[in-house]
Amino acid sequence: MLNQRGSATIESVFAMVFVLILALGAVQVAFALYARNVVASSAHEAARAAVERGRSEAEARGVALAVIRRAAGGVVRDATIGVTRETRGGEVVVGVGVDARLESLGPFPASIPVRVRAVASGELEVP
Amino acid sequence: MRSERGQALVEAIVLGLLLIIPLVWLLTVLADVHRSALAVTAGARDAGGRAARATSVGAAGRAVDAAVAEALAGHGLDPSKARVRWSAPPGFRRGGAVEVEVSYSVPVLGAPFLGSVSSPSVWVRGRHVARIDLYRSREP
Repeated sequence: MLNQRGSATIESVFAMVFVLILALGAVQVAFALYARNVVASSAHEAARAAVERGRSEAEARGVALAVIRRAAGGVVRDATIGVTRETRGGEVVVGVGVDARLESLGPFPASIPVRVRAVASGELEVP
Repeated sequence: MRSERGQALVEAIVLGLLLIIPLVWLLTVLADVHRSALAVTAGARDAGGRAARATSVGAAGRAVDAAVAEALAGHGLDPSKARVRWSAPPGFRRGGAVEVEVSYSVPVLGAPFLGSVSSPSVWVRGRHVARIDLYRSREP
């Protein structure tokens, strides 16, 4: 009969490593979901800021980048921000689109693309 | 006697999966709650600010509806599912308080690919109070 001394220990180690990888994978999912929400929020904040304070497109981009950097700087990479501004019947309508990648912060190497768009409108400011 | 080699590993895998599946499900629900909280607070803040600068009660109502719809849509939520309650002082008096409360129901039994079961759900609320502009021109 084969000697089984130590086999339980080895199995336990394998099992613990497996459970640990699963737990870290769950953390990775949590980071990705959080970062996606932050990116959506950044697009909305940028659009709102551009409308409310009469800011330029460049400043709206800066607002979006600042929100992303402060709230999820380590997870969101390569953020590209597009801003459109148009006038419709006495209102200014600003659209902000954010394309970014969510970096992997866990055991599974994955780079998840995320694309969000937010629109905000407001009264056209008369200079 | 049958060999029990590898049994602990199989048990750990099954147990791990049993723990991880509800955990990931819980994470998606929490992410939905987080997203809704961001949306309703942004909606209430934007709506309050725009209503406070409106030229009349009618314009304030339209501004509240538009601001809430934009905030929720921008966060990927359905604006028609939101409850919006707002109040303004009689006569839309200058310097008075405009209060906006936005509520959104987040289903906690939403399963991937299966949609959501009707209940239970968590109500997320955002509230903002703004002061009506003292010097803004009014509609005649």
